[in-house]
Amino acid sequence: MSKPVITAYDWVPWFARGQVRDLRVRWALEEAGQAYDVRYLPQGEQKAPPHRALQPFGQVPTFEQGGVELFESGAIVLHIAQTWDVLLPDDAAGRARAIEWMFAALNTVEPPLSDYAIATLFEEDKPWSRPRLPAVIERINERLDELSARLGEKEWLDGTFSAGDLLMVAVLRMLKGTPMADRHANLTAYVARGEARPAFKRALAAQLAGFTGAPPKGYEFLDQPPAEAS
Amino acid sequence: MSKPLITGYNWAPDEGRGLVRDMRVRWALEEVGQPYDVRHLNWGEQKAPEHRARNPFGQVPAYEEAGLVLFESGAIVHHIAETRPGLFPEDPAGKARAIEWMYAALNTVEPPVWETIIAKYIDGKENWAAARLPSVLGRLRERLGELSARLGDAEWLDGAFSAGDLLMVQVLRHAEGSGILADYPNLPAYVARGMARPAFGRALADLRAGLTGKPPADWPY
Repeated sequence: MSKPVITAYDWVPWFARGQVRDLRVRWALEEAGQAYDVRYLPQGEQKAPPHRALQPFGQVPTFEQGGVELFESGAIVLHIAQTWDVLLPDDAAGRARAIEWMFAALNTVEPPLSDYAIATLFEEDKPWSRPRLPAVIERINERLDELSARLGEKEWLDGTFSAGDLLMVAVLRMLKGTPMADRHANLTAYVARGEARPAFKRALAAQLAGFTGAPPKGYEFLDQPPAEAS
Repeated sequence: MSKPLITGYNWAPDEGRGLVRDMRVRWALEEVGQPYDVRHLNWGEQKAPEHRARNPFGQVPAYEEAGLVLFESGAIVHHIAETRPGLFPEDPAGKARAIEWMYAALNTVEPPVWETIIAKYIDGKENWAAARLPSVLGRLRERLGELSARLGDAEWLDGAFSAGDLLMVQVLRHAEGSGILADYPNLPAYVARGMARPAFGRALADLRAGLTGKPPADWPY
């Protein structure tokens, strides 16, 4: 099989390093033991026509291999799982449940977490950021409580580690550094189990090593955390 | 194949417009010609332990079939498309792209649509809500503009109608309340094509026939 090519950024703000969505695809490829190449985009190129032809929403990652061109990290992870026959159980019902957790990660748990990022990063300087935050946190906590209750004492969400766990761990990592991070010991331990997987470590190291670019003009202040936070 | 059993509500705040997520599953089942039964919940019962055993997040829909219990409308539509012909292209690359649009609908387009609904209807009473709305609508406009550009003059997102179109149309129907969907004329036309499908019409009629309940006594709106 020819080597897949994915896209990633050569620079992102300090707070996004280790969180950009190509991590999910890198992790899945590492779990599959499949080597891949990366085409790095300087910030801004993701919105230019050549990349938009691959990704209409002007984001990363994309995936190209042997005539297959895909965007959406969830869809790419599922494609990798099905193509390399990894990250999904063999039985049809188990596969359906693993896919269920993929959608739960991306359509039920991730949206309220993204809302927190919007409130604290992108709207941080707006007058409504602080008054809005309690409701945002309440919506997140509701989902975390439900997820924690379902996970219970189990190692993974449904049997062995699956593409559903991969996406859920990737989504829960967004909690790092927030007040909700350690709300449930079993979720903290679950994320740690995911991050302890050799494939995750290789994927994270590869993403971090890829940030060799310079910030665009005007964004130099986002290259390093503010002094008081470091 | 045994008849699936799905879970819906006997009353919901959308007043029968078919915006609750069981509509996605009903529509998919109608598209593939699979009869199904519906377990109707009173509003509120979705948070009770009996339903939480089916759906840990206390939502509808759930899907039960021959021992398999699924939640998450996207995953259920995927399962239906995977097990019955009609919603995925037959070639593997085309199928992967249909799945790509399913995720695009639910993970890229739906979040700003929901953000808009929360901003307008849940946060609407807050004294900062009006000042914030342009920022929320800006994020929605960005996604709608990109989707509109990609759809162009095509009938569906990628070849024939697929599970990706089904989810995208349902997500866009939710965006109608934003008041800005009509600024991208090919999108309302795309939604209208989806709603004109006989399977959509049957699903909506069946959903409405099941609305025999009443709003809870303490319903605040």
